[in-house]
Amino acid sequence: MDKKLLIVDDEAHIRMLIEQTLEDLEDEGVELLFADNGADALKIIQEERPNLVFLDVMMPKMNGMEVCQKVKKELNITETYIILLTAKGQEVDRQKGLDMGADKYMTKPFDPDEMLSIAEEILNL
Amino acid sequence: MSLSTADRAIKHILKRDKATREVLNKLRAGEGMECSFETVGGQVLWGAEGTYKYAMDLTHEDKVLGTFRYSSEKALLIFDTLKLLFQKEWEKKKIGKEVLGLYREINMIYDLSELISEKIDAESIAKVTLEEASQIIDTTHALFLIYDPEKDTVHQIARLGENPKSQAFIEQQKDVLRALITRGVSAIVPAERIAANPALKHLKTVMYAPLKVKHRTFGMVIIGHEEEVEYTAAELKLLTTISLQSATAIESAHLYQKGLKEVQDREEAIRKIHDVSQKFVPSEFIKSLGKAKITEVFLGDLVEREVTVVFVDIRGFTTISEGLSPTDNFLFVNGFNNRMGPIVRKNGGFIMQYLGDGFMALFTEGSQGALTASVEMHRELQVYNKERALKKRLPVHIGVGMQSGKLIMGITGDNERLDAAIISDTVNTAARIEGLSKHFGTSILLTQECKANLTNPGQFDFRYLGRVQPKGKMKPIDLYECINGDAEDLQNHKLSNLKTFDDAMTLFLDKEFAMAAVTFQQIFKSNIKDQPAKLFLNRAAQLITQEIEDNWKGVETMTTK
Repeated sequence: MDKKLLIVDDEAHIRMLIEQTLEDLEDEGVELLFADNGADALKIIQEERPNLVFLDVMMPKMNGMEVCQKVKKELNITETYIILLTAKGQEVDRQKGLDMGADKYMTKPFDPDEMLSIAEEILNL
Repeated sequence: MSLSTADRAIKHILKRDKATREVLNKLRAGEGMECSFETVGGQVLWGAEGTYKYAMDLTHEDKVLGTFRYSSEKALLIFDTLKLLFQKEWEKKKIGKEVLGLYREINMIYDLSELISEKIDAESIAKVTLEEASQIIDTTHALFLIYDPEKDTVHQIARLGENPKSQAFIEQQKDVLRALITRGVSAIVPAERIAANPALKHLKTVMYAPLKVKHRTFGMVIIGHEEEVEYTAAELKLLTTISLQSATAIESAHLYQKGLKEVQDREEAIRKIHDVSQKFVPSEFIKSLGKAKITEVFLGDLVEREVTVVFVDIRGFTTISEGLSPTDNFLFVNGFNNRMGPIVRKNGGFIMQYLGDGFMALFTEGSQGALTASVEMHRELQVYNKERALKKRLPVHIGVGMQSGKLIMGITGDNERLDAAIISDTVNTAARIEGLSKHFGTSILLTQECKANLTNPGQFDFRYLGRVQPKGKMKPIDLYECINGDAEDLQNHKLSNLKTFDDAMTLFLDKEFAMAAVTFQQIFKSNIKDQPAKLFLNRAAQLITQEIEDNWKGVETMTTK
């Protein structure tokens, strides 16, 4: 079965950057999914059950922390690996994010090479 | 091998993007619209395999991406749609790639600024700069050069890649490098110039950027590759940015170190001033006021303390100094003070004031240390006098007077001129006692209060010398002579006559002057250096023939200071 990876960020250029960073994964049969807000992300996670989610923290409507909490604590979807993305300088959120059930934490600006290798590792590629 | 952007774009439309694929599938379902798309490798990416009447290649920038197969011309509508979709997707991917490239650059500059902000020396900054630059710009060799205008030298402070001749290159090409640095521009070196320069023969691609701060250029970064990698204008711009950032960091590091040095120098100067000021105003004085540093004291600060005041006077100073030039006189006094000061400090006292031919010392921890110091000073002088005798110099003798009592230490003066001052009757009395030691011919003279203050009086030997009413004083003072500072023979004499002397003194105070005189004479005869015995012998002898008042208590009233 194809693997799925969801990219969630309200900023279009960040989505484009992550897509570009992870485009090699498409050749490996990974389907890239996108959402530009927390509510859509939650819907996609429930329907598609992606293996991995790159989830921005600062978003309007429902922020990444809330999405994470709903997925991990309320819906009990444990098989989806969630990596929270937040701006540098807001590392104070790190523990909060992990408390909400996030599996990992990355700061923006992210290192593209690091992001790709983490995704490959988690998706077992 | 990873796919090209164009390959990815076509694959995206036909395979990965569900929405696009559905639209295309609907179109293909129409009558006469059967078609397929096959990659160059022969894989049918979309549509059904089968035999089609026509085929048309999809090309991009003169490269065939695949073949569109169809059976009716109607299906060309799909081909046109496909071409349009491909163009859009390719543009999107191309922009995405460029944006990612820029993002990597920003990331690198971000990392670089973070890394170099931790460095405080030019060498580390240079090293990090070259390492980071080589991460993003294809580089096999790099040099970080600094020009020193004072010495007119160019030197490398960091390097990447092996080039044992780099130092020789720098020396040979100094004029060129200096000119390039002075010009302060960045450039990609044309291939023919690289080829023409023997120093660059290991490289095929070279570019450089200046290390610039405001309008001053102090060096340059040169990077290169062994292969023809063709640096782009964007890469040159990036190198320029990196170099600028690095230059600023080096300048800050330089300013930081300069600032640090200035602060250290200033601290050193302050410390020296503090050390010196401590010598002028004793730190014990400052501490007694409850302050740690002289900068903390203010006009009007004062404290009352129980102290022992010791006056030390060089006997016959006039005689000694008459034979000396003013300079030698000064040297003599300094030599004397140099010997005495450490003894005072060792015993818990400090010199409050130098008085030319002597000094005043204060002891804040009782009189034991004061008396010990007084005895030791005499002993030190005995050693000193032996040295002086060898040089045919006059011996130095001192008289010591001590008193214990209350004393006020404080800061006096005005806003412009401050001084450490002590105000106390104890000081005046101690000065008088010292004067009296001359009169009695004793080496150390102390008061009853001072003796009572000793923690271990048994360590010393005393002789009671009666009561004295100093000039200008209301109350008579009981005086004791400490004999332990005397020369050995005199001390032994006094020791063996301690009891006799006390008996004689009792007789004297009981107005048994004839008996007292006989006893004092007996003591004096056994050692004519015993000045107090002589003094009391004379006084007793005088009193034998005088009318004595009924209330005579043996108090000697001094008429001189």
